[in-house]
Amino acid sequence: MLSLMKSAVVGLVHTGPSMAVGFHGLVRNHLKVFCAGMKTFEVPPDYSDVVLPERPKLKFMNKVPNFKKAKKEMKKLRDIQGPAQAANTFTSGQYGIVAFGGGYLHHGHMEMMRLTINRALNPRTTFACWRINAPYKPITRKGLGQRMGGGKGAIDHYVTPVKCGRLIVEVGGRLELAEVEPVLKQVAKKLPFPAKVVSRESLAAIQQEDQDMGKNNQNPWTFQRVAQGNMLGIRKVLSPLDLHNHGKYTGKFYNPKRV
Amino acid sequence: MAATLCGRLLTKSGWQPVVQSVRHGSKAVTRHRKPMHILKQKLMAVTEYIPPPPGAPPGALTPSMKLVQEESGLVLLLKKELHTIFQDCKMIAVIQDNSTKSEDMLHLKHRLHKHAIKIKFISNQVIRSYLQDSPYLNMSPLFIGPNVLFVSKEPKVKEMLLCLKSSPQMILLGACIEKTLLSRQGVLNYAKLPSVTVVQGELVSGLTMLTSQTSSMLQRHPAQLSLLLQQYLKQQAPEGSTETSPGDSTPKE
Repeated sequence: MLSLMKSAVVGLVHTGPSMAVGFHGLVRNHLKVFCAGMKTFEVPPDYSDVVLPERPKLKFMNKVPNFKKAKKEMKKLRDIQGPAQAANTFTSGQYGIVAFGGGYLHHGHMEMMRLTINRALNPRTTFACWRINAPYKPITRKGLGQRMGGGKGAIDHYVTPVKCGRLIVEVGGRLELAEVEPVLKQVAKKLPFPAKVVSRESLAAIQQEDQDMGKNNQNPWTFQRVAQGNMLGIRKVLSPLDLHNHGKYTGKFYNPKRV
Repeated sequence: MAATLCGRLLTKSGWQPVVQSVRHGSKAVTRHRKPMHILKQKLMAVTEYIPPPPGAPPGALTPSMKLVQEESGLVLLLKKELHTIFQDCKMIAVIQDNSTKSEDMLHLKHRLHKHAIKIKFISNQVIRSYLQDSPYLNMSPLFIGPNVLFVSKEPKVKEMLLCLKSSPQMILLGACIEKTLLSRQGVLNYAKLPSVTVVQGELVSGLTMLTSQTSSMLQRHPAQLSLLLQQYLKQQAPEGSTETSPGDSTPKE
């Protein structure tokens, strides 16, 4: 501070005579402008309406459902294909992991998510909750070294089918996205399908962009028009689901650039 | 002939399609994407999203407006001062100032002050911006580098040059004297001229001398006048060449 004042005074002393003489170059060299001001900080976000649940941590999920009689099921790939109709919007949290493709989560994935997120989050200020159910779909395997035939194998483990666009985990509380993003990213990249970390705003933005693409499309030949009109008998090679999904979803996969 | 042959051959062997479509049953593998049917591939290619054409880049449609910088109060004040200087002062000399010491400048100021000449330090930028809108636009090339203005209400060029002689760091570039732009040489020539009153006196005296001569001639005796006229006639005559010398001498008296 003292040195600053000193330099200012020196600068003034230097500028005085040079002004009188009219050394414009010298004036420019020696004239130092010191400014002091107030820094205006951003208003911190308002967390007054955040209510933490009683148990802010992710709950343990049962590895095996509590059935009286476990029944073998068929593959039923329909439960991972197409867009998610349930749990595709936020409920209580602000940030979450959203699936960008279908797939099966098993107990190991859930334990990984639970342990990682619970370790990283402060339970006093933040909370996390599941948006998926505990594994309920039985997957059968034949035993090792068994010959083919002999009917369907025994139930090996249970999984949770996840469709594209479904939220997996929600995180909320008195925190910003930057605090929780690394943890969620670390989790998201380990999931068996493409997943992204989103906030309420970014998810809405993604959906809005999707709608805008449909509106602004300059191509007069849309998938919907060709498929519904059955132009050149194209329905022969299209799936009945394509009539609804317009080529956006092929099985469990999602093509985000389609309209 | 050939047609019948072909027909026979075909009928005998039985026609078979070149490509046979074989159904392999449905695959339940979801690990990878199934290859699409070629027709569906074509359909996907045809129905791709085409974004709207990019709008005009920012600034392309709006007229290119030059940023009008608001002039600071100091600049306005200096401009006002310049305006008064150019209105009132008859001598505005532009002088290059090659790093004069402050002491020398003080002496020069003092010497100039005796003749009511002031030194003005106004930045070239301000002067040039003022000159752009004024009739003295042609002066603007002078204002490059470290300059000062010598300003006085009377055109005291001689005194100014005398003062400048003692300070060799100051070089005269040009001047505007009595609303006339003069170069360095022009200023020097101007300084050699006598003052206006002297010139006017000379002119008046010259004019009065002629009239006084004619009046004095008229006031002389008429006989002398007639004699002079005779002499004049003689001069006009072709043989009057010998008589010119006395005729010339008479009006000079």
